[in-house]
Amino acid sequence: MLKVENVTKYYGDFKAVDNLSFTVKPGEIFGLLGVNGAGKTTTFRMIIGLIEATNGSITLDNKKIDYSVTDDIGFLTEERSLLTKMTVEEQCIFYGTLKGMKEEEIIKRLDILLNKFYKNDDKFNLKEFKKKKIKELSKGNQQKIQFITAILNEPKLLILDEPFSGLDPFNVELFKQEIIEMSKKGSMIIFSSHRMEHVELFCKKLCVITKGKVVLEGYLKDIKEQFRKKNIIVEGDIDIDKIKKIKGVLEVIEKGNFYQIKIESKEFNDDVFKVVSKSNNITKYALEEPSLEEIFVAKVGEAYEK
Amino acid sequence: MRNKFLYLIKVSLKRKIDTKWFRIANILIALVIIGTANIDSIINYFGGDFNKPQKIYIIDNTNSSYDIFKQQIDMNESNKEYKLIKYKKTEKELKKDLKNKDIAIVFNNDNEKVLKVKLLSQKYLDILDSQFLKNALYNTKIMLSIEKSNISFEEINSIYEQVDVERVVFDKSKSSSNENLEIIMQTVFPLVILPFFMLVVILVQMIGAEVNDEKTTRGMEIIISNVSPKVHFFSKVIASNIFVIFQGLLLFMYGVAGFISRKFIGGDQIKYGVFDTVKETLKGAINTSFADKLIYMIPLLLILMILTFLAYSLLAGILASMTTTIEDFQQLQTPIMIILFIGYYLAVMAVMFKGSLFITGLSFVPFISAILAPSLFMIDQIGVYHVIGSIVIMIFTNYLLIKYGLRVYKVGILNYSSDKLWSKMWKALK
Repeated sequence: MLKVENVTKYYGDFKAVDNLSFTVKPGEIFGLLGVNGAGKTTTFRMIIGLIEATNGSITLDNKKIDYSVTDDIGFLTEERSLLTKMTVEEQCIFYGTLKGMKEEEIIKRLDILLNKFYKNDDKFNLKEFKKKKIKELSKGNQQKIQFITAILNEPKLLILDEPFSGLDPFNVELFKQEIIEMSKKGSMIIFSSHRMEHVELFCKKLCVITKGKVVLEGYLKDIKEQFRKKNIIVEGDIDIDKIKKIKGVLEVIEKGNFYQIKIESKEFNDDVFKVVSKSNNITKYALEEPSLEEIFVAKVGEAYEK
Repeated sequence: MRNKFLYLIKVSLKRKIDTKWFRIANILIALVIIGTANIDSIINYFGGDFNKPQKIYIIDNTNSSYDIFKQQIDMNESNKEYKLIKYKKTEKELKKDLKNKDIAIVFNNDNEKVLKVKLLSQKYLDILDSQFLKNALYNTKIMLSIEKSNISFEEINSIYEQVDVERVVFDKSKSSSNENLEIIMQTVFPLVILPFFMLVVILVQMIGAEVNDEKTTRGMEIIISNVSPKVHFFSKVIASNIFVIFQGLLLFMYGVAGFISRKFIGGDQIKYGVFDTVKETLKGAINTSFADKLIYMIPLLLILMILTFLAYSLLAGILASMTTTIEDFQQLQTPIMIILFIGYYLAVMAVMFKGSLFITGLSFVPFISAILAPSLFMIDQIGVYHVIGSIVIMIFTNYLLIKYGLRVYKVGILNYSSDKLWSKMWKALK
């Protein structure tokens, strides 16, 4: 289990991370979210042992993270971390060896992963592809190789910082399947993305940080339940002005063939329902939890207002 | 961790040596060195005016000067061949017959000055030809004067014989036979210094390029999350030093190949060329007591050079870790190049200012001691203890570079911003 306990990091007088705590159990996918500069990268750097925390402790299976445990960690950075002059094979052997793997083992695993990620590409030639220089690859293919280098060693702890950057929806799906498969095998995964729909898909548990401080944490289900604001989805002909006048209605948004009515809390649902039920051609009425993005924007906004 | 360290060294070396450009560059260097060693044969192969004998037409109105002048011309030791032609026609006709590069000499009797000479040519004379002919004419005049004085042949010989000089040097550590060796050494020292200079430049650039290549992408974070900055730093330093030593050996082998090829091709047209000078120097050194000195001085100088390579690589690694792009590193590299130039310039100056306390003192200064010490040693300016002193200072410098440089390196390689760079590095040092 990864345990981050009361971790604080100062850069000079600047507090980059403020008393951060969370745990990630084997098989769990944990979302670490925050706007740019919130302290995510600093947290990742502390977890993989690149920098030391000013206060607090980080342990993996009760061991302090040092070079004796980093072989069990995989890290996919947000920016490119590939050495562009190397070939695909050289790059994987290079990072794999640094993770303590043997060359034959790396090549075997690389072949499996490449065949998996390019199974639908008719033109794909494994031998030729491995000899290609990283700089010759497209952005999407570079991202795939970067992902492969992060999971080559089947890490116990996998940190994914914006893993879907530069990928088309088809490849995003491939990545998702692999991430889920790894979590099923027992890997602890920390996932960071600005795309909240991706986070919602994977993470049962998450933590939102702003200015290095936790503003929201817990299981996604609980977070959504605890978030008072709800959405009502209506399909049919409604009088928008009438609905807006109902107490507790925050906003009514027309979205294609349906309306989204935002309410302060679910207590106001009945009042809205009474009005909507008198309207014509109603084919759908549903009370929904807010999206993670809405919660994120609301919570981060609150934190900045403070 | 040890395996990872060795692996990083292997990868660094492979990235440098196992490349198409390394092979191409070395083929070109080998061709240039072997070509330079045989430059005279190459020049001769393509031919030109230089290998035609210089024609000298002689009108001898004295009837006695031609033979003596011919003797003088035959004593010529230069590469140039002179061909004397006795001209039977008049001086007026000679003017018409004389071609662009031909020379003509008219000897006339002179009651007061023994010999009157007219030197004719269509164009200006080559300075070496002019000098050579003037000497030959001067000697001809002396010979004619001696002949006229009725001095015997034996007496003439003894007049012309060189003076026997018995050379005595009171300093027992000096051998009189080594006296001229210093002059030859002065011409040889660029052969030692230039490759050193070149290898330091390669070394500095190699480390800078590698560290920056890993830093420009976030590859450095992946590497440092698996091996410590210390392991990474030393792997770069050791790999680059192995590389320059390997490249140095290759250069030496190309030099040897140049010597051997010269033997086979038989180039001997240009005497006292660079390679002949080296050959003569080595021959001279082996035959004298200088050889005893070289036996322990060469290892000492090599140790000093290797320590200096190490210091330059440590410094380059530290500077490279602080920069965020190769362009920034190239800017920081300039002071290193200036230090090297100062060392080289001082080594040249040392020959001109023999005995200079300033230059001798600077030969203790790290980074330039490896350039200055060999040249000062070759001109017999410094001895063994001096070189040992330089080695001790160099070891201490390397110790300081490792101790404090590693602190900067640890912070520098994970720093991607030049904002407040110096304050960050200063903090790291403390």
